[in-house]
Amino acid sequence: MTVIQADRATVLADIAAMLRGLLEEYGLEDADITMATKFHDDLELESIDLVSLSGELREHYGGRINFAAFIADKELEEIIALTVGELVEFVLTALRNVD
Amino acid sequence: MQIRVGEIDLHVQRLSPEGPAPIVVLIHGMLYDSLASYYFTLGPAFAAAGLDVIMYDLRGHGRSTRPATGYRLEQHVDDLAGLLTALEVAQPVHLVGNSYGGSIAFGLAAAHPSLVASITAIEAEPPVQSWTQRLGDGLARAKPWLAQEETIELIREARGGHTARLSRGAAKLLQLTTIAEDVLVSRTIEEGLADLKCPVLALYGDESVLMEQVDFLKANLASCRVVVLPDQGHSVLIERTGEVSALVLDWVREQSLVEAE
Repeated sequence: MTVIQADRATVLADIAAMLRGLLEEYGLEDADITMATKFHDDLELESIDLVSLSGELREHYGGRINFAAFIADKELEEIIALTVGELVEFVLTALRNVD
Repeated sequence: MQIRVGEIDLHVQRLSPEGPAPIVVLIHGMLYDSLASYYFTLGPAFAAAGLDVIMYDLRGHGRSTRPATGYRLEQHVDDLAGLLTALEVAQPVHLVGNSYGGSIAFGLAAAHPSLVASITAIEAEPPVQSWTQRLGDGLARAKPWLAQEETIELIREARGGHTARLSRGAAKLLQLTTIAEDVLVSRTIEEGLADLKCPVLALYGDESVLMEQVDFLKANLASCRVVVLPDQGHSVLIERTGEVSALVLDWVREQSLVEAE
């Protein structure tokens, strides 16, 4: 259990770092990023930022993280409501399925 | 990846299957748009169906270079032709263009017929004189309106923070470049329309102002199939993704079979 918790914290830290890189462009790199942070409402990320994030996830974790397919399965409202925590869980599940 | 085309870098996302496959190039709309509109909609579905999918950001949009000038339609057409050369694409491609992206698709087919296997125009018009005038007038009105902070705040209240940010991005593009002015002086193709031999699939929403295009296309194009989606306005791609995806996949398969014969 401890190991999984540590993994979750690591993935959250990884994703938060990627997001801060994207937010730098808007001068928002100090934004507080938690599991509950919403991509659209809280960070106001544009969809093109999510494309960049998708590329960074692939670069960091390898091709098994198919963020585009994850998003494509969702309705627009679901994408707008997406939280950092949901992305963290998606990454954790994808990583576990391979191991 | 970034692909150098002439003086600028175009941001490209490509989803390729292993082995040869029909190539589909997805062209997004103007101002508020980027390749993200496809990356999270048609792109993954087309790749899963075995197509070789090329998505790119138009100049000035998304993560592509934003030059101060050079936004006439024929310059977007040159960018696309240059991109296909840079990617060493050696077969005619199926173009899918949303709104302004559809106009670019018609422009490429008119300028370089050998590069284009088919066109799917989603809520789009061929670049004729009435089109440049209407779009140019709209952009001329939008430019000062979007530049006001009160406008952005109104949009934020009515449509939320995400749309407000997109609007601020659109305002910036209008202020920092000649995109609004360049539309009016873009080359039009009315004289070449009758010569356009490539098959065209045109999709419209029945509540869209572009419905008048249906008769125009049928009267002026050699080969055109029109599908009208009921109870639908201009946002066909985003609001009717599933239907658009199925229609375009069937269309590309059908056209690929015709090519193979």
